[in-house]
Amino acid sequence: MRIITLACSLAALIVASPLSAQTLNVASAGDQNMVDYVKDYLGPMFEKAHPGVKVVSVGTGPGDSGSQKIYEKLDAQKGAASTDFDVLVIHQKAAGQMVKEGLLNKYTANVETAKLATGDSAKNSLGTDVSGFVIPMFQSQTALAYNADMVKTPPATFAELADWAKKNPKQFGYNGIKGGMSGVSFVAGWVYAFGGDAEKLMKGPYDAATKTSWDKAFADLKAFNANVVITPGNAGTLDMLNRGEIAIGPVWVDMFYSWQADGKLPPNMKLKLISPGMPGQPMYYAVPEKSAQKKLAEAFIALATSPQVQADGIVKKFNWYPGIDAKNLEGKLDKAAWDKLFTDVTPAELAKNGKPFPIAPYFNDILEGYEKKVAN
Amino acid sequence: MSLSQRNLALLLIAPGLALVAALFLYPLCFSLISAFTGPEGGFSLQAFGKAWELYSGDVVFTVIIVLSSCLLTGLAAIVIAGTLTLGENRWIVGTLKALYRWPLFIPFIVAAQCMRTFLAKNGLMNNTFVSLGLMEPLQAMSFLDWRGIIATFVWKQTPFVALLLAGALAALDRATLEAGRNLGASRMRVLVELALPQVMPQLLVALVLSFVTMLSVLSVPMMVAGSQPTMLTVDMAFRINAYGDYATANALGVITYLISAGAAIIYLKRGMAKENAP
Amino acid sequence: MIRAVSGLRMVLAAFALAAFAFFLIGPLVNLALWSVAERWYTPYKLPVVYGTRYWEQVFRPTGDAMASLGTSVWIAVLTVLVALALSIPAGYALARLKLPARAFFMVLFLLPQAFPSVAIYINVARVFYSLGINGTVFAVVLVHAAHGLVYSVWIAAAAFAAVDKDLELAARNIGASPLKAFFSVTLPLAAPGIIASGIFVFLESLDEFTGTFFVGVPQVTTLPLLLYSAAMGGNYQVASITALILLVPSVLFMLFIERFLRADVLAKVGA
Repeated sequence: MRIITLACSLAALIVASPLSAQTLNVASAGDQNMVDYVKDYLGPMFEKAHPGVKVVSVGTGPGDSGSQKIYEKLDAQKGAASTDFDVLVIHQKAAGQMVKEGLLNKYTANVETAKLATGDSAKNSLGTDVSGFVIPMFQSQTALAYNADMVKTPPATFAELADWAKKNPKQFGYNGIKGGMSGVSFVAGWVYAFGGDAEKLMKGPYDAATKTSWDKAFADLKAFNANVVITPGNAGTLDMLNRGEIAIGPVWVDMFYSWQADGKLPPNMKLKLISPGMPGQPMYYAVPEKSAQKKLAEAFIALATSPQVQADGIVKKFNWYPGIDAKNLEGKLDKAAWDKLFTDVTPAELAKNGKPFPIAPYFNDILEGYEKKVAN
Repeated sequence: MSLSQRNLALLLIAPGLALVAALFLYPLCFSLISAFTGPEGGFSLQAFGKAWELYSGDVVFTVIIVLSSCLLTGLAAIVIAGTLTLGENRWIVGTLKALYRWPLFIPFIVAAQCMRTFLAKNGLMNNTFVSLGLMEPLQAMSFLDWRGIIATFVWKQTPFVALLLAGALAALDRATLEAGRNLGASRMRVLVELALPQVMPQLLVALVLSFVTMLSVLSVPMMVAGSQPTMLTVDMAFRINAYGDYATANALGVITYLISAGAAIIYLKRGMAKENAP
Repeated sequence: MIRAVSGLRMVLAAFALAAFAFFLIGPLVNLALWSVAERWYTPYKLPVVYGTRYWEQVFRPTGDAMASLGTSVWIAVLTVLVALALSIPAGYALARLKLPARAFFMVLFLLPQAFPSVAIYINVARVFYSLGINGTVFAVVLVHAAHGLVYSVWIAAAAFAAVDKDLELAARNIGASPLKAFFSVTLPLAAPGIIASGIFVFLESLDEFTGTFFVGVPQVTTLPLLLYSAAMGGNYQVASITALILLVPSVLFMLFIERFLRADVLAKVGA
């Protein structure tokens, strides 16, 4: 027992040392580079403008599971006076859920830059109205990555891809639906292409009977799966592209560029956004309802979504599509950086084939349909 | 002595139990309630029905993976610990001793990541074989499926089991083993017939703990193998992250727990049967 | 003839050892290679460009890798102390004393390891928030200890069970009190197993991520948090470097414990 008492008092000692007078806690669901983006780039910039404030950046892991962790932590703190986090960087699914459950603060009226983001994704998150609660940090998009040495003319549509995969067995790879969103996005794109009225899936209204019309699409997907490799996760697809084990696979464009920058992809890898389209989604900046530092949080997000930071941080540093409307970045960015963003996927293609994810109830139906009819 | 043995035992075990009760039993109740509650409230087995309908194949897959990993881990650990204890070549024993523990210090998530790039079709392993001329490039195949999961588990858990086993073997009475050797028994026989039976409890404890650990690891099946079929931890994470469906996830959790409790009870039954024997 | 056979056996043994070493070390070499690979892609079998860019990134002034490492090690050490303090009496009771429903208790200790943790940690966090201890090292240590307790309790119980009862009786017969007999005979004999269990608790704590996130973050951040998001995102370089950094305290801890074992305990094992 003495040991425990000792341990407790030692532990208390460590806890007693206070943090900075004002701490702004930023939680990011995402890859390490997003955590580092706040830690190394936004944080120091903000601390300089606000002396005495310390920005703490915490990552919760990539993908929806990272956002889910943030949601769970906020949920656990429902009874507390204030939350641990002040600024959140989250995915669409979690954003919709948090808005519905009243976990987020309606803050965008206090942030000038909110007016710069007028796209649909700033208001609508998988069918949930989130206007006022979020500002996009950056937009991301899935597309097919292919090795230009192995594939001279990449397929341009889902139908062509299906043919290509038949002729080149085990040369296409995706990560199913349990290993991350790039696979989910591919499956959603497949249903958009072969499952009938795609517009309805993205806009609603929800009709529970719709899912029965996807049986043929799922049966075809099952046959398609026999000729492809199921990769372990979003990173797993990129990994297999890296080693030349597959020639084509669906990836997140932002991840693709980070991997390329890290020297983990052959230099001749290219992107192709096939028609009728693949889904993309933004990452959102949000503020918890019970944040103790709302004013600071708003100031932080205003900085993060300002045209200059979006141009230098989001576009130039990472090759991500900006969260605010692109026209606001004019003059803030040299042409080379801007063009690099659209090397493989032109703005016209992006506008035509960049789709949102289906609204939440259809989304769940697609996933569960896949579990029952394709994976089983 | 005023305290009865029984009360003393309960007193000694109480602090540990209190910690587990406060930090696990109590929170677990919420999970159990959620697993047994229907969408409209009230008692229901619906979550279990759904879990079974969608994931029965994965339950079987999980059990087979974990059992075969345990079996291989046990064999590898016996070979290593046996060589360490009974090996006569100083050089081999020394090398082995210096080497075998390293995977112990690698977290599962890193082990998974190492294996993903090691076991892949064009991974470091196949590339080495090709470079050494042991294999043609066309023969290279990927092990990133159930074999990869098993390989990662065995790689990571063998040092754990071997460390405990080697410790137990080292504590054995050397004289008996020497006597066996002097009577002309091979080292293999000494190990299997004389030494192993005496350290069976430690071996089984290590294996049950490995079994339970493997059941609860998410990163290895997630990162090493594609998701069809997959292990229950992946399904659980998927239910939560994709659907926010804690009920089915908790039902899968209950199933996982029953599997590990089963393994534990088989071990304990055996231990008790031995205690009661004359 | 005999010489030829033994020579052949030597060659076979050496070959087996080499194969074993390859499978054991291969993945670790892979890890080390990734930590210094700045460019590595098909068709190259080894990194195309080597460099320390990612080491510099991990150890950059704004990245708090070393501070997180310190917190991680501190938490791990405290966790071992708490777990051993709880598991030595519990293990002894389970192994030696007539405990009712022994199997039930053993399975209970297995629980934290077996049941998927996320759902549990949310509720633990809820309790800790209401107690006001969330975000403290103490809270993280408690969660880690409960998680690691199964290792220490089960292994301690096995270690105590393996100690020859007659030795303890002999000590009692020459007049030692039960407590003295325990501390001078039983505990030293069971020590190797118990100490091994300490290593596992230490490693378990050093790897733990989910519990730390729910009860420690953002006030307490540990190195595995960084490792987790780097590894899950496929950031091989940073994850490899983090893993290599975490290797240092683990190995030091084991060496330290082995030294302590050799000097103090092993001497008594033979006596």
